[in-house]
Amino acid sequence: MKNIIHNMQLYFSFFEASLKEVLIYRLDCIAGMISQIVTQLVSIIFVWITYQNTDNLAGWTFKQSLLLYGIMLTSIGLVDLCFDSLYDIGPKYIREGTFDKILLRPVHPLISIIGESKAFTAFGYLGLGLFITISMLAKLAIPITFVLILKIIFFSIIGAAIIGAIITIFSISSFWTYKSNEIIWTFFRMYTFTQYPIEIYNGFIKFLITCILPFAFVAYYPTMNYLGIDKYMTWLSPIIAIILWIIAVNVWNWALKKYRSTGN
Amino acid sequence: MGQKEESNMPIIEVKNLIKKYKTIEKEAGMIGYFKNLIHPKYKEYTAVKGINMQIEQGELVGYIGENGAGKSTTIKMLTGLLTPTSGQVIVDGLVPYEKRIENNKKIGAVFGQKTQLWWDLPVIESFRLIKKMYKIPEGEYRKNLKKFTQLLQLEDLLEKQVKNLSLGQKMRCEIAATFLHNPKIVYLDEPTIGLDVLVKDNIRKFIKEINKEKNTTVILTTHDLKDIEDVCDRIILLDKGQIIYDGEKQKFKDTFGNSVTAEIILENKQPNITQKLYDEDFEIIEENENNIKIKFSHDKTTIVKIVEILSKYGNIEDIHMKEAELEDILKEIYRGVKIC
Repeated sequence: MKNIIHNMQLYFSFFEASLKEVLIYRLDCIAGMISQIVTQLVSIIFVWITYQNTDNLAGWTFKQSLLLYGIMLTSIGLVDLCFDSLYDIGPKYIREGTFDKILLRPVHPLISIIGESKAFTAFGYLGLGLFITISMLAKLAIPITFVLILKIIFFSIIGAAIIGAIITIFSISSFWTYKSNEIIWTFFRMYTFTQYPIEIYNGFIKFLITCILPFAFVAYYPTMNYLGIDKYMTWLSPIIAIILWIIAVNVWNWALKKYRSTGN
Repeated sequence: MGQKEESNMPIIEVKNLIKKYKTIEKEAGMIGYFKNLIHPKYKEYTAVKGINMQIEQGELVGYIGENGAGKSTTIKMLTGLLTPTSGQVIVDGLVPYEKRIENNKKIGAVFGQKTQLWWDLPVIESFRLIKKMYKIPEGEYRKNLKKFTQLLQLEDLLEKQVKNLSLGQKMRCEIAATFLHNPKIVYLDEPTIGLDVLVKDNIRKFIKEINKEKNTTVILTTHDLKDIEDVCDRIILLDKGQIIYDGEKQKFKDTFGNSVTAEIILENKQPNITQKLYDEDFEIIEENENNIKIKFSHDKTTIVKIVEILSKYGNIEDIHMKEAELEDILKEIYRGVKIC
């Protein structure tokens, strides 16, 4: 337990150091955020175009879909903010040899690597996500209570943790290929399935994003809860997040052990 | 276990250490590359071939050898970065590649020019992070920081961003960072590469000073033999994955370095004496118009005998003698002169 607290403290110290490092490059930061917001606005236009031909998609109205989108974007923002450096393990850490430095620290290497995430442009996603979420809640006349705010914060963090664990699992490809970022990206991009209500997909994709790579728990089930449609499913997400992280850490440790025995 | 027994245990113990790598055999040409892609052929390569050594707490060991001799591979196994193919490594009672994080608390390491400092932050911020990582007590941290700042002349550097430091400044900060948590063992892999003479000297003095004060064990890998000459008491020489010498530095020089070079200036020297003297107990390595350079070994002949012989070929005006330095000895060994 003492160890966990120490590791958490270290994580926040590393995170703080990364934040300081990024804030030095203020202009890069602002430019990055703007480009992220523009990219997302383009995606939203596509959702809007879809709704030009129909009033609802599998029973979801445009505003409800946008709420789903806002919730997803908030979690994705957190993911970028916290787990961005996992993409760099192959191309940066291992290829340039800084991975040895990480392995020589008296800390689990995942904490060091995650703590070095520097995608603070993610504040663009986060801001836009929260803006869309709050304005859609208002438009849908859902009362913004204190409990709802707490729920949104909690489930957004859990959603980010779920995606973070999935990225961690696929980041082990870094130990075999420098191009691991592309492999991780492929799986990460599956989150885009959750831009739309999962009812529109066929059985296989539903099964995939609920049971295998549980992206549905990032935005879909929380939104169902906020809309009052399905109150209970979303409460599974913390358990799913914990199970995924247990799997992720073990898989990662196994891969690291393999990597250290083959050498580089 | 009593205190006494513990102090008798070597801090590093290595037995029959072997490391094999698998590499993909490259075939020439485009077709070869495609063949590799579909059906790669593996080739096994043994980098470390059964090494044994014991290092005591507080020793200053120079771990030397040519490029590719297996130095870095050994250091990586000692630090726990790599798992051996077979054999045993015990560092301060732990197997480093099994208890990596535990082991990391007790060691420090510098690998060439790879920095452990936070690139975009002032140096002092990195030191603070290191303090947190290793849970260095406040008092100890302040004491070390003060001492290191003075010994390595860091006063003006602490507030600067790492990326703005010169190579020498960066390495001084790097060395300070490595010793900050009072590691029991420090591995230094090429710590002086590319540095100017003053910085090198500064770093060598620092290592010696800390070793004296804290009894830190230091394993130093370097191509600059002046580092070894200045810092180390013991030499472990590695060649093609095997230890070919392990012992005191002085003994090493005595055993392999008893050859002396001398420059002798001869007036009215006869031409081509190299050919006439090929069968003597000394070797003429250079012959000019009025001087020759010779090499001989103390256990075969003496300078008096040489002078006696040479005086038949000219009038000896002057003699300059030079004892072999570590570098000369190693050059000879690498060139394949028989050893042991």
